[in-house]
Amino acid sequence: MISKLKTSHIWSRRLFIISFLLPTLALFALFTVYPLIQGLYLSFFDWSGGSETMNFIGLDNYRELLADDIIPIALKNDYFLVFWKVILIMLFAVFFAVALTRLKLKEYGFYRIVFFFPNIISVVVIGVMWSFIYNPTLGFLNKFLSLFTSSPVDTNWLGSPKLAIWSLLPPSVWAGIGFYMLLIIASILAIPSTLYEAASIDGASQWRQFTTITMPLVWEQFKTSVIHIVITTLNGSFIIVKLMTEGGPDNQTQVLGYYLYQMGFKQFHLSYGATIGVLILIVSLITTLILHRVLSRETIEM
Amino acid sequence: MKKTMTGVLVLLMAMLSLAACGGNDKPNPTAAPAAPTKTNEVKATEAPSAEPKISGDFEIQYFVGGYGDGWWKEVIGEFSAMYPELNIKESAGSQINEQMKPRWIQGNPPDVVYIDGAGSNETQMVLDDQLMDITEWIKGAKNVDGEPLVDGLIAPPQDYDGKHYTIPLVFGSWGTFYDQKLFTDKGWQVPTDWDSFLAVSEQIKAAGTHPYIHTGKYPYYIVGGLLNSGFVAANGYDPQILKDQEAAKENSFNNDAVRSTLNKLVDMRDKGFFDNASFGMNHTDSQMLFLQHNDAMIPNGLWLENEMSKDVPEGFKFGFIPSVMQEAGGKYVAIPYTSNIAIAKKAKNPEAAKAFIEFIFTKQAAVRWAELTGALMNVKADLESSGASDVVKTAMNYFNGGDTIVAPVFKLSADMEQAENDATIALLQGTITPDEFIDRMEKAAAKERK
Repeated sequence: MISKLKTSHIWSRRLFIISFLLPTLALFALFTVYPLIQGLYLSFFDWSGGSETMNFIGLDNYRELLADDIIPIALKNDYFLVFWKVILIMLFAVFFAVALTRLKLKEYGFYRIVFFFPNIISVVVIGVMWSFIYNPTLGFLNKFLSLFTSSPVDTNWLGSPKLAIWSLLPPSVWAGIGFYMLLIIASILAIPSTLYEAASIDGASQWRQFTTITMPLVWEQFKTSVIHIVITTLNGSFIIVKLMTEGGPDNQTQVLGYYLYQMGFKQFHLSYGATIGVLILIVSLITTLILHRVLSRETIEM
Repeated sequence: MKKTMTGVLVLLMAMLSLAACGGNDKPNPTAAPAAPTKTNEVKATEAPSAEPKISGDFEIQYFVGGYGDGWWKEVIGEFSAMYPELNIKESAGSQINEQMKPRWIQGNPPDVVYIDGAGSNETQMVLDDQLMDITEWIKGAKNVDGEPLVDGLIAPPQDYDGKHYTIPLVFGSWGTFYDQKLFTDKGWQVPTDWDSFLAVSEQIKAAGTHPYIHTGKYPYYIVGGLLNSGFVAANGYDPQILKDQEAAKENSFNNDAVRSTLNKLVDMRDKGFFDNASFGMNHTDSQMLFLQHNDAMIPNGLWLENEMSKDVPEGFKFGFIPSVMQEAGGKYVAIPYTSNIAIAKKAKNPEAAKAFIEFIFTKQAAVRWAELTGALMNVKADLESSGASDVVKTAMNYFNGGDTIVAPVFKLSADMEQAENDATIALLQGTITPDEFIDRMEKAAAKERK
């Protein structure tokens, strides 16, 4: 009798859990696993993206990928953006978060909105807006810089082989700060103020409080933010490149995401584009795993 | 007896709906209602009796971009009036190429497709085996006015290994546009050859204006408007070099014609004739700088005037020269571009598709195209009296004159075009030499041949 009750209890418990898991699993399979496998499947074919037939070519797309001169440039640019975006966004986000919470500014609410503002603007608008700012003849940046020089500045920010990739950084960083700042603010606000009070009484400076209290306690949030920046950059720098340079001049701002698009839809090698997609997936996975290792520290309990 | 009765009935119905159509046309301010209606009546009496019955569903896919859809609505209206039993479906819009793509892949395409705009490429459609082989049909095809269709074309149907799949509908030319007002005001001579081009560029530069701007984001503008005509001129005015490049033949880039043309480009670069703003700039921005008298010359296509019509400042005048890289005393070289129309290989109503093509390739349709779009349709027609733009008329005079060689229509494969775009920008930025340019292109061609 007792065992019967127990089994029915176990069953209803299982049913309860399954009722949550199954729909999620189904949706995950439909919208994530299936396209993933489809993309992988496509990468073994030669398909333009427009014909009714596909030719199976085995690993030829992958061989071509290895021999492609543009792939290393794109990879290098991807990691260039990852590296600088992580450093700059996290530096600014943490700085502003600490400044807004710990320095007890009166205009806290105002600044929080101002910094978050770029996040609610569409990336398309950001890209177009910054293209105008960078315009060598009519743009704001050169006009502004010309105020301080004797002859007018005519630097071509997006068109010069050396400057172009650097010029993509300010819009991406500017657009990213607000979101990560909010994440860090939330986790700073969760730290009990008694910790800071005790530290002040013991004579710890603001910097000391930051390094020994704030950073260790927001580390989990910090780590999540870094990994999120890395993943979104590897998968999403396509948009900013498409809007501002289309990979030019001469592939100097080429990134894997845009190269996928260019190959798949502009040069009519959709299956090769899928192969680049597989490469992006592998690269993102490896990078995330490495970062997990590098950034993992013992979780500090409050 | 019965047959003639039906014939008369069809004819009557056609006339009736034509009358209705004429009424519909009137609100169009630029339309000349008298002329088209008249010719259509003549057509209506001949066509139905001569051809197999045209009926059923008929679908046309056309991209709507800079040329608008006024012309399409008009000809489709007239066509529908001529064949009232035909149920015409228009699949049109600025995103139509993307929207229709799944249907092409699934083997359920429209009957007729006008290939233009982003996401379309006729060479790719031929490679993908989606277009009907019209080689035999086009030879004998006559338009509704009874004239042989091919004879009336400016640019003949493009050749794909001896076969035809497409017919150019829009014809235009690349070339150098210059700021005519600025040239007149400052007393600069319009260049007629390479030496005078260099001389006037020097003058323009000395006057504090940038001689030449182009869109560095889309390098095919400078390739089409400057380089390709240079290749032909340096090749003893033999445009075969472009067809060889299209066919990805060995040494179609590694030759003296290409090398000397690239050296001319390097010469321009080193003399500082290019506006530094060109790099990374999109076509609209570069055209705006040209319109604001910031730059004196720009490589572009004949659509420029129409495209920028809303932004042309008061008193601005466009000047057009087909090419500038020829020797003194040489000929002009016009590099054409076309947008094509084709019948789908899996068209469900090929008879109606053929009838439609025969219907639109007429002189009066060409005049209407010029009037409604400001551009040229690919049919020889007298435009002097029409409402076509001055630039288009000037260009037409160049094409008809004896001093101009009109190169055949050609298009590099998407891969080679991308390679040429990249190499051109790299050469203009001085990151590669002409020999490296040639090397890159020969490699791209070799890859294409595989």
